[in-house]
Amino acid sequence: MNAIHRRSLLAASLGTAALPFGPAGAQTTAMTAAVYPGGWDEALAAVLAPRLRQQSNIAVSFDPLFAVDQIAKARAARGTPPFDVFVLDPGPRVSGIDFGLFEPFDATRLPSRGVLPDGYSDAHGAAVAAQVVGIAYNPTKVAKPAGWRDLFRPEYASRLGLTGFGTTFGTISLIEMAKSLGGSEANMDPLFAELRRIRPSVAAVAQPAAMAGLFQQGQIDVMYTNTYTVTLLRSRGVPIAFAVPETGAAAFVTTMHIAKGSRNAASAYTYIDTMISTPVQTTLAAAPYFFVPVNKEVTPGEDVPMRSIAEISNFVSHDWAVINPLRAGWIQRFNREMAG
Amino acid sequence: MQENGVWRLALPLALAQALFFLAPLMLLVGTSFATDENLTQASLRAWRDMLGDSFNIMSLLNTLRLGALAVVATTLLAVPLALLHMAAGPRLKRIILLAAILPLLTSVVVRTFSWIVILGREGVINSALIWSGLATSPVALLQTEPGLILALTQIEMPLMLLPLIAATARIDPALLDASVSLGGSLLRTLRRVVLPLALPGLVAGATLVFASAATAFISQSVIGGGRLNYLPAQVWQQAMVVFDWPVAAAMALTLMGSVLMVAGALSLLGRGARHA
Amino acid sequence: MHRLTGADRLVALVIIALAAIGFLILVGPVLIVLVTSFTSSRALRFPPPGLTFRWYLELFDPVRSAQIHVAALNSLLVATLTAISATALATGAALAVARTRAGWARFAEGAFLAPLVLPGIAFGLASLMFFSWLHQPPSLLLLVAGHTMIATPFALRTVGASAAGMDAALLESSAVLGASPWRTFRRVVLPLIMPGVAAGAFLSFVSSLDNVPVSLFLSSAQTDMLPIRLWGMMETALDVRVAAASGVLVTGAFVLLLVMDRAVGLTRRMSV
Repeated sequence: MNAIHRRSLLAASLGTAALPFGPAGAQTTAMTAAVYPGGWDEALAAVLAPRLRQQSNIAVSFDPLFAVDQIAKARAARGTPPFDVFVLDPGPRVSGIDFGLFEPFDATRLPSRGVLPDGYSDAHGAAVAAQVVGIAYNPTKVAKPAGWRDLFRPEYASRLGLTGFGTTFGTISLIEMAKSLGGSEANMDPLFAELRRIRPSVAAVAQPAAMAGLFQQGQIDVMYTNTYTVTLLRSRGVPIAFAVPETGAAAFVTTMHIAKGSRNAASAYTYIDTMISTPVQTTLAAAPYFFVPVNKEVTPGEDVPMRSIAEISNFVSHDWAVINPLRAGWIQRFNREMAG
Repeated sequence: MQENGVWRLALPLALAQALFFLAPLMLLVGTSFATDENLTQASLRAWRDMLGDSFNIMSLLNTLRLGALAVVATTLLAVPLALLHMAAGPRLKRIILLAAILPLLTSVVVRTFSWIVILGREGVINSALIWSGLATSPVALLQTEPGLILALTQIEMPLMLLPLIAATARIDPALLDASVSLGGSLLRTLRRVVLPLALPGLVAGATLVFASAATAFISQSVIGGGRLNYLPAQVWQQAMVVFDWPVAAAMALTLMGSVLMVAGALSLLGRGARHA
Repeated sequence: MHRLTGADRLVALVIIALAAIGFLILVGPVLIVLVTSFTSSRALRFPPPGLTFRWYLELFDPVRSAQIHVAALNSLLVATLTAISATALATGAALAVARTRAGWARFAEGAFLAPLVLPGIAFGLASLMFFSWLHQPPSLLLLVAGHTMIATPFALRTVGASAAGMDAALLESSAVLGASPWRTFRRVVLPLIMPGVAAGAFLSFVSSLDNVPVSLFLSSAQTDMLPIRLWGMMETALDVRVAAASGVLVTGAFVLLLVMDRAVGLTRRMSV
């Protein structure tokens, strides 16, 4: 560790924003962005942050928070935003809009907006990554499942890890299961009936945070998740494969939003613009980051069942404005059915 | 250090707690009696939702039972360890003490991983059972109440063992020898001589273990899983996923009140036993 | 030594067997983490297919693990400040409670322990709401204050236990001999309660270092905390550096413990 580096660590540890190293430091603007902990945090710190500093002289510091924690923290902070930019999945995004946590978003302030498909930026924010959700399984232990219905067959149910409506990927997977059982977004009864039936035999009912560990240690061999997790775990030597359900994989986009009352709006737009730019999206789509790009010019990685983001319209999508009001009820019902 | 002015020494802590603990707590109380977290309108809805729902009451009772079982399990193992510590030479004494502190040093994040490793289908315990022929197929341990209690036994043991050791360390060994040489059996000596003297430590330990196990949100949800229902997970869900802060506040306060009542009862029990 | 009867021997055997199980439960999980941290596999895995120092090297790599280092320094700083403030506050209060026979002291003793029983997540959320209402954004000092609230009860127990055994006559004679209260404290009281103070500081330090629920709300981008970072690394990627970091923490704390034990007989005073 050289002396300069140590000084910057010390500065950061004293609660000041990381001091700029370079001579150009005088005009550097500082901003703060929320970022998902783990893979996202590492990727954005390694790819996006250096580029932003180099090209735009913006020093970004990251606040690692899951989507729900971002909303809770911003709400509790009442108008003094703890960070300038949110990164959210559709469920929390709709909550954020409902609670008025975002500045109105002007997509024309993104010079790179042409690389995004139509509709990928709106009055609230812009898409920065996609997620493709389907079934993950351990190919050394179970056969490839054909679709959502299969998960309720005894040979899969006994190896299945269930997670509830607390996350976006969990919610849409459970909705897809409900549909495959004859229900719909508005009718989850068939799903809950089946869940009650398999409840005693499923291998685990867990927090999303525990899923990867449970899978790795062989407690579960089947779970629903996104291609990102599958590729990441496989790159670390975990035997895992992605199955596209016969009814199609579901897809959604992760969006960034500017926090209401942010004093760094200009930097925030530059941050989002750099995030969707072709060089950043290309690097993030490759190993070891495995993001699903939203940039039309970038080819998604091998586990992603599409060759370009333009194909995302072929995937199953969901209306979160409809889902969100129902979700609190589903969460409670899931708790109750599972506790049986 | 005269007695009349000595209360002033407690003032800094009292002020700090008033500002950094009591004030946020009062806000929590206020929130629980409001329609939303901006305290726009008073309402009893959150308390009706919490107390009028049999599922929530069930979660509360589960949580209190979990705390009680953790107390029983830690007592069962900590008392023998404390006795061994009392009888041991200086070297073994030291080893037992360091082992007692060890769980406090492992990060909660990694601890949950190690319990998945131990309790899992292909985990340490199941491998041992199958290897030794005691079981032919994996036994369900992870995500069961016994599995969770086993994990909590490790996590909370220091809180029981340390006060117990502190209490038993004050027992005069000559007292034990006297009791035994007067013809008392070992069991009788333990019951008549050691237990009364160790009781304050036991009560202190039980209070700490109960409070800590009943509120151990991460262990409960990661090791216990979704089929076991405890109130701290509901608090988290209401606050962070459903965004119903009044209900989250009412739940947290209900849990706090219940745990305080149990702690108070334990403290009375300890005082009663001491004076009996 | 007296002679043991058959029944006594059975009782002794049961005690030793239970103690052995207890010992195993205390130590086993920690050993598993330590062994896992040397795995040659790329994901957290037990039993490890082979052993290597690779994850420790990667953990100390100044570039690849820079964010972990920042978070670790933040956590150490907050834990140190928490240990100092919690121990100072608790020492004052414990002395007051120990030297007073009035009823309020018994009540205060109970009230001071209250932060132990509020679920951490609720306390974190309530603190953030309260300080936002006062227009105080999350900061390092608020973080230390929050951690101090959680840690003080532990320090209070250890210092209280030491202070309770103090001889009142000793203090009076010091005062009679004309020593100022501060001098009495430094020369007479502090040496007597030192092991309890050190134990309290150690427990406060450790409890702050591992705090998740309060940090989640009161930390900010500038005060990224280690357990929260480790949690993220563990969840998405089963990153083995998490185990290596835990190995470093356990070893570091263990060494600190041994040093403090040599200095003040710490382990004998860990009576929380």
